[in-house]
Amino acid sequence: MRPFRRRGDQLVARLVDAEAGIVGLLLDQLEQLLAADAADTGGDPVLERLLPPGHTGDPAIAADYRDMTEASLRSGKADDLATVRATLPPEGGEIRLDDEQARAWLRTTNDLRLALGTRLGVTADTEPPDDPADEEGSQLAVYYWLTAVQGSLVDALVAGPADRR
Amino acid sequence: MAGPLAPAWTPETTTGEESDLDRPWVTVVWDDPVNLMSYVTFVLQELFGYDEPTATELMLQVHHEGKAIVSSGPRERMEHDTNRLHAYGLWATYQKDT
Repeated sequence: MRPFRRRGDQLVARLVDAEAGIVGLLLDQLEQLLAADAADTGGDPVLERLLPPGHTGDPAIAADYRDMTEASLRSGKADDLATVRATLPPEGGEIRLDDEQARAWLRTTNDLRLALGTRLGVTADTEPPDDPADEEGSQLAVYYWLTAVQGSLVDALVAGPADRR
Repeated sequence: MAGPLAPAWTPETTTGEESDLDRPWVTVVWDDPVNLMSYVTFVLQELFGYDEPTATELMLQVHHEGKAIVSSGPRERMEHDTNRLHAYGLWATYQKDT
């Protein structure tokens, strides 16, 4: 992976074949999860984290919030995911994003990290894996790789266009 | 909330009969082991128009104290703010100010 950098109006990175393949698989999993009926995934901690309660304390207010916002939250995440898929070179290569597409990438890579982090029980004390070869180690390695991708994109967006610095 | 951390929002003029509804609600962002500090700062700037030092201060408050109030105002507006934070994957709730 070559991390995101600002190049003129665009944010540019490069992924190798295997990396693009992993992102594609994670997008498939996230898409299925977001499309699932809440009744079928009741109690799934990942879905709970992606579509969290907006209020705690008064169940009526919490239900009100969910009724008003859950459908649009799901569809917004699905739209972001579609943008990432459309701008991801399936066999690796250069990614070129405008600022709006970059925000979709930020939100979706964050959702992927939230999903993986929740499944793996990531805490503030979690560290990169000693052995990326075993199953949990490899998933944690993917988590940290996504962290690097997202972190470089935040930094590139914050830096702003080079000609305005 | 007052002072430098107050949101960039001007309360609308209201009539006296709305006084109970006017009691402010707040949107709270909670600490989370996944969200990057740089990302949280970016999102607070993006959604609320905070300058970078203010957004950083709020992010650090979340990080060190476990939570921070990021906006305050009428309930509908706090619902909306919470929803926008959820779209970015931040862990946020809204509640009546205590």
